[in-house]
Amino acid sequence: MSEQTARAVADLDVVVDCDAHVTEHQDDLLPYLDEPFASALATDVDDSYGYISSFYPSAGFLTPVNTGKAEGKSVRSSAEVREGMALLDTNRVVLTPTQNLYLGCVQHPELAAALGHAYNEWLLDTMLDPDEGLYGACVVAPQRPAAAAAEIDDRADEDGICAVFLPSGGVTPLLGKRQYDPIYEAAERADLPVMMHNAAGTMLLSFPNLFQGFDRYLSSHAPVHAMQHMAHLSSMLTKGTPERFDIDFIIQEAGIGWIPYFTRRFDHEYRAKREDAPMLEKLPSEYVSDQFYFTSQPVEGTGDPDYVASMVELMGPESLLFSSDYPHLDFDHSADLFRVLRSRLGETAARNVYGETALEVFGF
Amino acid sequence: MFRLNEEFCALANHCVHQGGPVCEGQVSGTLAPDGEGGLCYEREGEVVSCPWHGWEFDVRTGEALADRNYRQPTYEVVVEDGTVYVEA
Repeated sequence: MSEQTARAVADLDVVVDCDAHVTEHQDDLLPYLDEPFASALATDVDDSYGYISSFYPSAGFLTPVNTGKAEGKSVRSSAEVREGMALLDTNRVVLTPTQNLYLGCVQHPELAAALGHAYNEWLLDTMLDPDEGLYGACVVAPQRPAAAAAEIDDRADEDGICAVFLPSGGVTPLLGKRQYDPIYEAAERADLPVMMHNAAGTMLLSFPNLFQGFDRYLSSHAPVHAMQHMAHLSSMLTKGTPERFDIDFIIQEAGIGWIPYFTRRFDHEYRAKREDAPMLEKLPSEYVSDQFYFTSQPVEGTGDPDYVASMVELMGPESLLFSSDYPHLDFDHSADLFRVLRSRLGETAARNVYGETALEVFGF
Repeated sequence: MFRLNEEFCALANHCVHQGGPVCEGQVSGTLAPDGEGGLCYEREGEVVSCPWHGWEFDVRTGEALADRNYRQPTYEVVVEDGTVYVEA
């Protein structure tokens, strides 16, 4: 760590963006798709529906990107990753997917596993470059836990793979079920943290009745990231997943204010309902504090620094990892949160959130 | 006050959580992991649950099973000539 005073993000020696997406397209993945799907999908069909097709399930939202009010920036090459890094003053990124955020809801399980595999091939072949700070997470399909475990085993020693990416949106049954244990066992073997990232539109598939009330992009997107991860975290804590596996989890893009609420609520209820979670040997909040990390974007309430500083203090700044979500339409610039952390919680906390903690979690 | 075979234990009847009548609650065992991925039932007769919210306490130590930061006050019990005394 540099002894020099950091007045801005650009002054830091280490700045790790823990949620920097690529925007893989069909054309990127098809050349890497294994048989039989390589042949099955090798058609000349012209996708003449164009962007209109994204208005239909899943989940058919009319988004600011579709209307052109927000920029849907492309990140399909390492050069385009570096453009984003320059914009945000970061020097390392953990690359995460866009289309494959929905992988956990692909109906055909073998196809889902093949798509994850193809994504990883593409990522390794064209994107990752640890010397330049470009790291990535190995995407696995929860629909086929054994195949996911094999994928993790195959990727564990690849240069630049620093995590397992478990697309958590809409995944049913919830991720505490024993059927997912092979994935966690493989992550543990590989000594890789597991990143969990929701995709707001996937709630259509898993909470159809609830979704009837979410008839706009805004009404869905604001609550469902935190809802989804409260559901998964509830399942995993109750079933003792963090007690049974010595691995770290990184929950992404759900904001911060729900975390102090959830951990206190869960502890509160656990004290009265301990028999529902007899695997636990300490308070649920202690497992969260010891084995779960949360990426920062989208930081809600940045116009209210007192709120942000309070929430970060209550959740524990050591659990927070800076992330941008760039180039998605709700991405955070690196400067905002840094200013709040540095002025309210001090430079050490800011350094930790912006990269020092990530160095430990991802082991790079 | 609780009797475990020949052993006597005494707890305050004011729950450390929110003041419920903890000693009027059910005395039972509790679910625990069986070490093979399943569940077993253990500590039969050693656990009392406050009837208000169901918090479980170890009748010997007064500790809340879920959170050792919470402990019901306990009292020394002495048996002399067939009479049971509680030292308060």
